[in-house]
Amino acid sequence: MTHDDDHDLDEATLHAYVDGQLDPARAAAVADRLLRHPRAAQQVLAWREQRESLQALHREWLDEPIPPRLTAALRPEAANAPRWPRAWAAALLLTVGVGAGLAGGWGGHAWWHAKQEAAERASAEAAARAAGRDPSVPDYVRDAAIAHAVYQPEQRHPVEVGADQADHLIQWLSKRLGQPLHAPVLRDYGWKLVGGRLLPAGDDAAPGAPLARAQFMYENETGERFTLYVSTGARSPEAPVAFRLTRRVEAGQTTRSLYWIDGALAYALSGNFDEKRLRILADLVHARIGMADRAPRSP
Amino acid sequence: MTVVLEEALPLLPRLRRHARLLCGDTARADDLLQDTLERAARKGALFHAEPGPTRQDALRNWLLTLMHRLYLNQRRDAREALHDSLDEEDTVQPLVHEPQQQVALRLDLERALAALPAAAREILLLVCVEELSYQDAARVLDVPVGTVMSRLSRARERLRQSMSGGEAGRAPLRVVK
Repeated sequence: MTHDDDHDLDEATLHAYVDGQLDPARAAAVADRLLRHPRAAQQVLAWREQRESLQALHREWLDEPIPPRLTAALRPEAANAPRWPRAWAAALLLTVGVGAGLAGGWGGHAWWHAKQEAAERASAEAAARAAGRDPSVPDYVRDAAIAHAVYQPEQRHPVEVGADQADHLIQWLSKRLGQPLHAPVLRDYGWKLVGGRLLPAGDDAAPGAPLARAQFMYENETGERFTLYVSTGARSPEAPVAFRLTRRVEAGQTTRSLYWIDGALAYALSGNFDEKRLRILADLVHARIGMADRAPRSP
Repeated sequence: MTVVLEEALPLLPRLRRHARLLCGDTARADDLLQDTLERAARKGALFHAEPGPTRQDALRNWLLTLMHRLYLNQRRDAREALHDSLDEEDTVQPLVHEPQQQVALRLDLERALAALPAAAREILLLVCVEELSYQDAARVLDVPVGTVMSRLSRARERLRQSMSGGEAGRAPLRVVK
């Protein structure tokens, strides 16, 4: 590492990068620099892996019912009551709670209503999970994985408009999505753009948002492909960029998608290779899009 | 106050997992959460946040602040004399989770997390699992942001070391100055 241009890769910055604490421009700069510093990149991957395994730790606990003594503790009446031994207090408060629910006494109605809503939300999420969908994964990511599975194996018509008409392709898709799009150039990393296509938005599209989405396909020398799916209507343009991973098995093949939101656009990068390669690619793609966004527009 | 009470309901599953991972013991965790919620109910009037999309986060951070303050007090009470800093504390928490675990990695991670000093576990849970910003984590723990970052860095390294069987492994990335 040289000394003058590497202050962007000090340890504190790398931690902040992993934790999504950098603003998008800075994160893009770090991602770009990581490409040239494999050791730092390896460190980032290790921390990210650690972070994600911590996040996954006992996720099933989130579905467990909350003991009544805890919900009861939130009631100011309970807080002001004298402290009995806990088991007694719990049993007593539970009885009082049920009584209140039946009688609808002292704000009990609103309380049970809220409780009901929380229970309904939990059961909707449980249903989504039972249907094989992770409720925390946005619908567009699922659409992206499906579109990937459909077009990635296609030999004759993998794309609608080929890379030989790249300028036209970008203009057309930008116009249909109502946002300037970029298909980053990745040739220096062995990936060339095959082309792209216009796809319909799913039924989750926000009212008034464009109904169009875009898919770009890339291929390397050995014939491997990945797709970059772009959707509009991203809701939190100010949020720091965070990459999330999801997996989907389609016709015996595992498609991994890394997805993130950057400004007004939501991206999903899908491929049939391992997480590590996908992450490096996503960092690269994200950095290049960021650079293209900041570059003066070519006429 | 009732507003706080109803708004806090959807947060409870996450707060409960947070407490359980923090204490490494369900009974103690539920006691900690109960104390937290009782305190919140008493002090509900002290919670001020504008209605809006950030209100839920503000409420979560406030509850986490109460919880971590209580957790700190417990640790202080448990130690007669506090001669070394909490950072260096090395008490191993008992692990009383369900015994049959399928995934070896998860078991390792859980054990390793439970064996960390409390301050390291706190920071990992707040930043990595609850995804708080460094500023918010600093507010919850009532320490400077710089302390959050140094604790985080040390906690990550300790966790990595204990999961790789305690061997030193390769040297951590040097800071480029």
